[in-house]
Amino acid sequence: MADALNMSEAVLPAADSPRPRRSWRFRHLLLALNVAAVAVALLLWWAATRFGWVAPVFLPAPGDVLHAARITLASGDLLTDIAVSARRVFLGFALAAIVAVPLGIVMGVWRPAKAVMDPFVSLLRPLPSITWIPLSILWLGIGESQKIAIVFMGSWIYILLYTYESTRRIDPLLLRAARNLGASDLAIMWEVILPGSLPGIITGLKVTLAISWSCVLSAEMIAAQNGLGALIWQAKDWGNMPLVLVGMLCISLTVLVADWLMLRIERALLPWERGRRG
Amino acid sequence: MAPILSARHVTKTFAAEAGRTLTAIHDLSLDVVEGEFLCLLGASGCGKSTMLSLFAGFMQPNAGQVMLRGQPITRIEPRCGMVFQSYALFPWKTVRANVEFGLKMQRVGRTERHATAQRFIDLVKLSGFEDRYPTELSGGMQQRVTLARILAANPEVLLMDEPFAALDAMTRQVMQEELLRIHDANHKTTVFITHSIDEALILSDRIVVMSARPGRIKAILPNPLPAPRHVSVQLSPEYAALKAQVWQLVESEVLAHDETYRSKQ
Repeated sequence: MADALNMSEAVLPAADSPRPRRSWRFRHLLLALNVAAVAVALLLWWAATRFGWVAPVFLPAPGDVLHAARITLASGDLLTDIAVSARRVFLGFALAAIVAVPLGIVMGVWRPAKAVMDPFVSLLRPLPSITWIPLSILWLGIGESQKIAIVFMGSWIYILLYTYESTRRIDPLLLRAARNLGASDLAIMWEVILPGSLPGIITGLKVTLAISWSCVLSAEMIAAQNGLGALIWQAKDWGNMPLVLVGMLCISLTVLVADWLMLRIERALLPWERGRRG
Repeated sequence: MAPILSARHVTKTFAAEAGRTLTAIHDLSLDVVEGEFLCLLGASGCGKSTMLSLFAGFMQPNAGQVMLRGQPITRIEPRCGMVFQSYALFPWKTVRANVEFGLKMQRVGRTERHATAQRFIDLVKLSGFEDRYPTELSGGMQQRVTLARILAANPEVLLMDEPFAALDAMTRQVMQEELLRIHDANHKTTVFITHSIDEALILSDRIVVMSARPGRIKAILPNPLPAPRHVSVQLSPEYAALKAQVWQLVESEVLAHDETYRSKQ
């Protein structure tokens, strides 16, 4: 009898099984809409410049942008600028994560640490990273470390806040269960708090990475010889609007690639979340 | 024989709204005998979950004492293993890692941990699901993992807080039978909370009927139904008579609870 009922359980749990995925056909329709929307936008852009609805000074033609892209690509400048910006973002962002993730966890599990940090967080959080540019130039000059510092200053508080919040959101029942199973303070830290807050921390890192990019661009626009921000700013000075658009497009694409990389890292680090996202 | 778990004149109050206090348990004394399956039966609000939390050391009584083998329980007590109604599985750990958790905390070596965990995974009939994550399992399966996790940690007492309440009726019956099968095999002292008379009658050696607001013991009934029990015992006349007896005890409590609830509105 027990076995018969057992079988019914194996068949029955439909009630809490995940929703069926959308049909193959529907997903392809959505993809077609993606492509169509881009095509229509490109067509409108082309028509607006081709038929003189907008003056070329305000909006360069798609062909001109393509041409500008080809020239900078061929000279190697574009790839250098991308690489330079990416390196600054990566270093500043990594430094911010290395400082802010542990600090956020400590704030989450130990109230005195939060009390010490709270006033500084409140004061520093409202400051956009550009406001650090004068001081950072004074302290660090206009070299690489200054750009990295700007990225760091613009990123670390967000990582800290996301990390702190995610340690606070751990189900207290899990802490109780772990203690009930004999976990020490150290084991609670490694086995419960760290893995339990990891999804929130990674979400925070993803959001912050985009912010880090905007930090490096503003720093490069104000004082830099190279990087995507400098490319756009110099192109503006030369009146080369197609090149400005190339720079903007490159920023979008680079950030998209960075997001995609973060998603891969997230998938690898959080295997238990895979089932939930479907 | 000395009781393994005991409560001596235990009172527990909570702060309620507007500075008032709510007495969840008042002057309750209870002895749990080693090896028995004890059911705490009562309507909602009778303090039975509070009593279990006190036994687990999740909270301390305001007066009186809770003891394990004569020693007061003053902190979270791993020797009193808790099975939670909402499973409390670690979502980032596989079934195997969840079941191994208690052993890992006891610093049991990897190979032995593996073997022990496998034994309990097999016991709760989850072989083949070792590498799944809890979210990939149904509610009944998740509760089996919880059971295996606590059994593998081998506490001296099992505390079960309405563990099957969230399951559908059929799964629930299967789980009850499996719990009986496991208890018959290891005779681990178990304190099981339920508000279902049927569940109490099927599972227990003794039933403690609790009264509501404040929580006290209304009656302690031995359960004479023959073991090993099976769902079909519910068809016997002894079962019906016993159920009627328990229901009479509980009915007035439920009505009294409704009354206090109404007067609050």
